Formats: sequence, structure tokens, C-alpha cells
Amino acid sequence: MAVGREATAAAVRVEGLWKRFGEQVAVAGIDLEIPAGRFIGLVGPNGAGKTTTLSMVTGLLRPDSGLVEIAGHDVWADPAAAKSVIGVLPEGLRMFERLSGRELLAYTGRLRGLPGDEVDQRATQLLDVLDLAGAQHKLVVDYSTGMRKKIGLAAALLHNPEVLFLDEPFEGVDPVSAQSIRRVLERYTASGATVVFSSHVMELVESLCSWVAVLAAGRIRAHGPLEEVRGEAPTLQAAFLDLVGARGTSDGQELDWLGGVR
Amino acid sequence: MTTAPAPAAPSTPLLSLTPLFARLKVTLLRNGLRQSNKRRAVFIASIVLVALLGALQLLGLAALRGTEHAAVLTVPLAVLLALGWAVVPLFFPGGDETLDPTRLAMLPLRPAPLVTALLVSSLIGIGPAFTVVILAGSVIATAHGAAAFAIAVPAVLLTLLVCVALTRAVATANVRLLSSRKGKDLALLSGVIIGVGAQLVNLALQKLSEAGLARLEPLADVTRWIPPGSALDAVRATSEGEYGLAAAELALTAAVLAMLMLWWQRTLTRVMTSPDSSTLVAAAKPEKERGAGTGLGRLLPAGRTGTAAQRQLRYAWRDPKIKTTWGSTLGIGVAIPIVNMVQGSHNLYFVSVAVIMLTGMMYNQLGQDGPAFWMVLQTIGSPRDALAELRGRALALALIAAPYLVVLVLGMAAVTGRWDQVPEVLGLSLAVLGAFLGTGAIASVQFPYSVPQDHAFKNIAPGQSGIAWLGTLWSLAGLAVCAPLIGLTIGLHLTGGHGLLWILLPLGAVYGPLAVWAGLRFAAPRMARRLPEILAAATKG
Repeated sequence: MAVGREATAAAVRVEGLWKRFGEQVAVAGIDLEIPAGRFIGLVGPNGAGKTTTLSMVTGLLRPDSGLVEIAGHDVWADPAAAKSVIGVLPEGLRMFERLSGRELLAYTGRLRGLPGDEVDQRATQLLDVLDLAGAQHKLVVDYSTGMRKKIGLAAALLHNPEVLFLDEPFEGVDPVSAQSIRRVLERYTASGATVVFSSHVMELVESLCSWVAVLAAGRIRAHGPLEEVRGEAPTLQAAFLDLVGARGTSDGQELDWLGGVR
Repeated sequence: MTTAPAPAAPSTPLLSLTPLFARLKVTLLRNGLRQSNKRRAVFIASIVLVALLGALQLLGLAALRGTEHAAVLTVPLAVLLALGWAVVPLFFPGGDETLDPTRLAMLPLRPAPLVTALLVSSLIGIGPAFTVVILAGSVIATAHGAAAFAIAVPAVLLTLLVCVALTRAVATANVRLLSSRKGKDLALLSGVIIGVGAQLVNLALQKLSEAGLARLEPLADVTRWIPPGSALDAVRATSEGEYGLAAAELALTAAVLAMLMLWWQRTLTRVMTSPDSSTLVAAAKPEKERGAGTGLGRLLPAGRTGTAAQRQLRYAWRDPKIKTTWGSTLGIGVAIPIVNMVQGSHNLYFVSVAVIMLTGMMYNQLGQDGPAFWMVLQTIGSPRDALAELRGRALALALIAAPYLVVLVLGMAAVTGRWDQVPEVLGLSLAVLGAFLGTGAIASVQFPYSVPQDHAFKNIAPGQSGIAWLGTLWSLAGLAVCAPLIGLTIGLHLTGGHGLLWILLPLGAVYGPLAVWAGLRFAAPRMARRLPEILAAATKG
């Protein structure tokens, strides 16, 4: 395990990544080196290409061109090696919903080639830590959003990956579930693993991440340690709005009736 | 809920709310059509179909005019119509957005005007139009004289309102069930229920055409007291001068309509102020333990093959759509041989229906996973993994199909006494099963398509019927693979080599598994290469 995790090595290396859907260019040439052992935030407005980029990086969507390397393994040339070192929690979170939470973990772990006893043991611990033990025999189709994110996270962590990719892991999650997700992720990065997650909630990224990449209109606008990207701006939110060129366009004069005489 | 004066927001007067809802309904209908050309085409096609059907009914009913027993048919027909209206929302939940009162819960609307407005807006659509056509036909069949036609106007209107109020009230009362998972599962199973129902109606019509309309007399005697049947009987009663009876029947219908409206209004108020189904599910008692690797699962091989097979078997039982497919496949597979045996045909080859239906289930194995296929994709690194995955799926299918076919063939032989046919039919069945499982694996990899999960009758996602068609065409390859054995059978029959037909049993038992093995071998490396493309195809629905 120590091999891919030296401080100097990049956890993820992306070169010239492109993706078009018909006329629309979703990802327009991304080059990025993500350092290992950090909590990485991939931020951008809706439609910036975050999900498309993460899908191509994790082997779910074939890029038009470009290179993706994870822990030294080319995702598209050597998928077997790359897939064995990553965990994924994709957007939308479509899982095998007619399995119970525990069955889903048992299934995923065995597909990953882990021995059955080991899978069951890890599943029990993950279910406990993520407060899912009480719902482990309920079908995933009946889970709430927070529970779905948690069971998805458990499935992604089951094989102890080196790099974890999470697409909007906190979207629609209640504060209690968010806290247990956060606790697990922090413990996981403390062991030297890398977490890459996308979000458009800047406060969250600012409080969790030490390294960020800003994506807008299919390109990287800025990347680096949090302090560098934030620069002079008071908050990451302000820096981000400047970067994507979306400072408040009006000061609300048109809405002067709002809050006026009723 | 104190006696404080009404808040600043004016309570919306009835007169402005009703046209508003009518316009909302029209807008929703129009926007739905604007969404895609396909939807427009489907809409126009259904209008044409319903118009045609309506015209035929109208002509048929009009032809009954002057017959003695016309009312005997029209009165139960009205009750049947109302019954149809009552069950529609149970089978097609979410078909009508204005049907969902929870969307209106935030608005400051009082129940009484809301219910009236919803009722009026429900009158817009193909269904009510069709109902009016049938009712008009019924009137033509039974009304004689100006008074009868005059009575027919309120009678038809009342009937229509009862139908629509009934459908709305039932939908509202069941809104919690309908928006829950169990309710949606139930709706997906409706295909089977409607199929059985259609058979029963068919049977009834056959009996009716044998015995004539007079047979319906007792039914009409009862239904004339069940609104909206009573409204239509009022038309007949007026024609025959029984004005008092007619008035009573109309009053009865109006009273039932009022009761329906009251019931609807009450449930609507309750539904709008109570938690929705997701909260109730979260608070429900813990479900029974679903153990990992218990029971049958223990008998499956270890590793990926067994894991994949186990999930397939669980889905055969838990996924409503797959369950329906299995249910109808296994059911029809038995039913057709039985029907033929009852009709005196003693031929074991009727088992071929079951074989063909079973093998059809192998042709879209990967697309069937839907967006969840990414979980499979993430864990497949090599053709070896892909082979294990496909093998598990073929195994799950064969585990049900092979014993089923053996029992079916032996059972048919026991009933018909055609034990002489058993070796050849069983051998051929196994060979065909193997050939189609093998080629089906290839089709699953080459021609995957999404299966919409929320629709009982749609099995192909929009825009993918071409791919699905290619997959079906590809089943010819399955036929080609088992052609040698079929040729051998025909040859032996033609040349009088009946004594050698037993050889098909060992041949089929070897040939079938061999064909599966070859098909999986061929498909696996292709699957490993095409994973993202398969995911994209599976995510369309």
C-alpha cells in the first residue's frame, strides 16, 4: 500500500482531457495533477463539467481524448489496475436498490474479489460507524438520501482504495449523516489516502479541503492549495465568484416592494 | 384554526379558481406534448384509436335502438365504466399531475372550491370524451321521445361526474399507497392483473354472444339501483312513462355524487395535512432480516459467478418488473401446453413456447441493471471478471429454466402418455436453451438498452427501440447455433429413424452447456472492452 502513497507522487494525473456531447463541449482540455494524501475539492457552478470529468477519471465515461492516471495506473489502458485502487460514489447514486444495505455491501465486496468473511466483517464495521446498523436489512430503495449516500460511501470504501472519488457527497444530506460521513472521510485521509470530491457548497469545501481545483465551462480556472486559490479574497466563495465571473449583477432595486407595506 | 379574522390573502372565489385549474390542465397537457415528437405521436395515435373505438361503440349501441333489451346492456355498462374509472388511478399513478393534491398543499385554498375546481378540470381529456361518447350511444339506444332525451342530459352529466369524482376520490384516498414503493410495485404488476381481467371479460362476452342479451336481465335489475347505472335507467324509465321512478333514480345518482364529493373533500384535507409516505416508511418497523449467504445462496459457487447469480435470483423475486416477466413466462409456458392438451393435442413439442420465452430473458442482461450497472463496471478489470459476471447471470437463469423445463416435459408426458417423445423434446429443449443463453450473452454485450423502471408496459427506453430490435434479430443466431440438432431431429423423423431419436437427449445435454460456454467466451472480452458504452446505453431510461 505504501507504494502509491509517497508524498511527492500525484494521486491523479490528467492530461488533455476532452469530452463533447454532440455540439456541446462538456470538458474542454483539462490538465491537472492532484497531490496524494490530501482532501481535494473540485468546485464549480452547475453545468461546469464536474460530473463529466469525474466520470471520465473513474472509468465510467470514455473520454474523446486525453490521459488519466491514478496512482500510476492508466485508467483507460489498464483499467483493472486502476479500478482496484479507487472507490467511487457517483452522482445520482443509482445502486442495486432491491438489495438490503447489508446485501449491497456483501455483493460489492465479493465482486471486488475480497474473501466473504472479510467482506462481512468490514461491512459490519462500516454499517456501525455510519449509523446504518439499524437499517441494514431494509431495501436500499426505501433509504433516505442521507442513508443512500452513506451506504454508497460504505460500498466505495469496502476494498480500502487509495483514492476515493465522491460526486456531491453532501448534497441533500441531513447534518447528522453529513457529520458521520465527514468523520469517516477525515479518518480515511489521515491514513494517507486521497479524497477527491465535487461540490458547489464553498463553505463546506473551505472547511474540509486543503487543496482545490475550480472548474467552469469545462476548463480548470484555478488549482492549488486552498490558501493560494483563495488569495486576497476573504472567503473561497468570494474568490470563486470572481474566478467564474459571477459577482452580483444587481443590487435588488427592482424588488423594492419586497418587505414593503403589505 | 382560531376564530381570528381571515388573513390578508383573499380566499379565492369559486368562480376564478375553476377556470384557473381548467387552464392549468390544458397547459400541462400541451407542455407534455411539446416535450417530444414521440409523445405527440403517441397522443395523436391514442386519440385516433379512442375515436375509432368510441365510434364503433357508438354505432354498436345505436344499432341496439329499438331492441327490447337495450337498457339491459346500457345500465350495467354504465356501472362497468364507473368501475373502470375507479381502478384506473391504482394502475396508472402519476398519470395526471393535477391528480396529486400534495402539490397544492402550500396554497391558501379552501377544500370545497378546490374540490369543485379539480372536478371540473378532470373533465378535460381523452378519457372523459370517450365516456361521453359511450353514454351518448347508450342514450340513443334507450331514449324514446322528447322527455327521455331531455332527461338524458342531466343523466349523462351526472354519470360523467360520478365517474370522474370516483376516480379522483379513490386516487386521493390512496395517495399514500400510490406514492410509496409498494404502491408503485403494485402498479407494475398491473400488467398481469389487466391481462387476467381482459381474459375474464373476453370469456363473459363469449358466453353473452351465445346466450343473448336477455341473459343480462338479472344483472340489469341489480345495477339499475347502483349509480351511475340508475341515471341511465332513468332514461329508459322516462321512455316508458315511469316518471316517478326516473326522478328517484336521478336523485339517487345525485345523492351518491354528493357523497363522493364529501368523501373526496375530507380525504383531501386529511392527506394535505399528514406526513407523506417517505416519512412513514422511515418510521416503519424494522424489516425482517435478510441474511447474506443464507439458504440457496450457500449452494451457489463461490466467487464472482455465485455472487452475480445470487443477485439475479434475488432480483427475480424482488424487482416488480423482473418478477412480472418471470411470472408471465413461467405461467404462459405451462398454460399453453395445458390448453392444447385439454383440446386433445398430445404433443410434447408445445414446450417450445416455454423455451422461447425463457431464452428471451437472456437478451438484455446488462441493460436490465439500469444506471446501477456502474457498480458492475467498477469491479470488472479483465475479460476474466466479465466472463464470471456473465456466467453468473446465465447460471441464475439456467437454475430456474432447466429444472422447470424438465418438470414440464415430464409432467406433459405423464398426462398425455407420450413418454416416447421425452428424450428428443428434452434433449432439444436443453440444446435450444443453451444456444440462446450463449447468443443472448453476446446480444447483452452488443445491444444493451435501458428498461424504464417506472412504467408497467414500456420495456424499452425512448430512442433505443432500434437497438432492441437488433437484439431481437440477433436471436436468429441462436436458432442457427441449434440448427444442427433441429436438422438431425427432422432428418430422423423423415427417414424413419425413430429408433435413434433417444440419442438427442445425451446430445442436447452436452450441446446446450457447450453452446453457453462458447457464447460466454465470445462475449466476455467484448464486454470488458465496451463497459462505458454499455453503461451509457443502460442509463438512458
